[in-house]
Order: sequence, then structure tokens, then C-alpha cells
Amino acid sequence: MKGINEKDIYTFVDAVSNFFLHATQEKVEIKTAYLLENDVPSSTFDLTSYITLSGDFTGRIYFSAPRTMLTHLLLVMGEQTRDNERLLDAAGEIANTISGNARKHFGETMEISVPTAQATEPDWLKTVVSPHSYVILIKWKHYRASVVVDIQRAGTEAKD
Amino acid sequence: MKLLIVDDSALIRSRVARILSDPRLNTIQLLGMAKNGREAIMLFLQHMPDLVTMDITMPEMDGIECTEKMIEIRPDCSILVISALSDKATAIKTLKKGARGFLYKPFSDEDLIAALLEFTNP
Repeated sequence: MKGINEKDIYTFVDAVSNFFLHATQEKVEIKTAYLLENDVPSSTFDLTSYITLSGDFTGRIYFSAPRTMLTHLLLVMGEQTRDNERLLDAAGEIANTISGNARKHFGETMEISVPTAQATEPDWLKTVVSPHSYVILIKWKHYRASVVVDIQRAGTEAKD
Repeated sequence: MKLLIVDDSALIRSRVARILSDPRLNTIQLLGMAKNGREAIMLFLQHMPDLVTMDITMPEMDGIECTEKMIEIRPDCSILVISALSDKATAIKTLKKGARGFLYKPFSDEDLIAALLEFTNP
């Protein structure tokens, strides 16, 4: 992906690690980070949230997780309300935090939207992200989740 | 000390409210919560809080504009920005608009308690 390199991707690895450490006082395990290419199914889970970028960047940053993981996360965080709306809110807040923290690396010209969160439809992610996106697979307790980084610096085009 | 919580995330609003039950913060009274800047201004005019926790990235009116409006209305109001936006420029911008503190997300309970104690025990 033109304009985004491995060092940039580690910014997101650090951000998602930092979120779980602060929210749960437990370290999250980074299973792997790789180019998405055609391996979409293993990187999507029940609920997906995303942030849309503008300014000097285009694209989106996604967070996808199983309901069971988000429910457990809210429990650990001391949340009494753990209905579907709150699970979507949590997924959105994680995407927002990861994206906002990334501005420490990319700067204020990476403008971020408010989060959108929804139930993940089969193959939905495959239709909306570029094949040059990076997937960061994480493991917290026994749950797996993913961060998908589909961004480019504005004015650049993905090249094969 | 009357406090208003402003954040578009119900999770964060609930968490900040829960942290307020810490005995060290017993001088703070929660008077309301708003999920965007426009709603926050309405509550602000209604209750005139002494202290506000303010998110930045929100629909309808963001936290920077909301901070500026609140300080115009009540210049002595203390505004603590709580945001994931981790670039220095954003923190400087909000402080120039009149915010008195900046706490980065993600934060621990102790981080928030320490930040709020700065306002209750200046």
C-alpha cells in the first residue's frame, strides 16, 4: 500500500494493546499482522465498527470482535449495561480510541469521523476494503478480534 | 462542585459517572450527561456547571467548538478534555479555547481521579 509502511502499522498495534491494557489491566496478545489480500473471513467477527478518515488521509480503520468478547470486556470494566446497543458502543469506542491514538504518529491532518458500529454481515468487509489493507489479529483471554487498517495518504493510489 | 459529562459514547459517560463515586471525589456532584456538543450547551445553560468533562470527536457539535462556547458563557468554568486524539496540536488547540486540562483515552480510573482532583484541590 503506497504511503503506509510497517512502522505505520505498528502504531495501530501499540494503540490496540494500550486500549486493552488500560481497560482491563491485562495485556492483549498480538497474534499476527499481515496484508489482507484474500483472507477476509478469518478477520471478521460478529460486530464491526469503523472510523472514516479525511484530511491528508483516506480510508477506514475497522475493529471487529465477537459479542462474547465485548460482553466479557464490559463485565471486566464494571459495566452494568451489556445489551446490544452497549456492545456496539464499546466496539465504536475501541475503533475511536485506536484511530485517535494513531494521530500521535500521523498528526492532526489525519482527520477522523465519529464511529459507526454494526452487526457484521457475511463477506461485508471483503466488499469494502482494499486488498492492500493490513489485518492485525489480537487475542484477549480466549477471544480473537481484529483491527483492519485500510488507509492511504490522500493523493496516493494503491499499487500492486 | 457541579459536573457535566459530555461524550458521544454511552460507555464513557457511564464509566466517568461510576468513577465519580470514589470517596475522594465526594465534593463533585453529577448534574447531567450529554452525548454531543449541542445537547451539552443546552444542559450548560440550564445548570451552569463548575466543571465539565469534554470529548472532542462528537456528532452535531465537536468538543472544541463546545468548549469555546461554554467559556464564552462562563469563563471561570473548568473544562477537562478527555479524548483519544493524541497529537499535540489538538491538545494545544483545546487549551487555547479555554480548556484547563487534557486527559488522553484510554485512561485508568486513577488517571481520571487524579485529573479531577486537580480541580477540586487546586
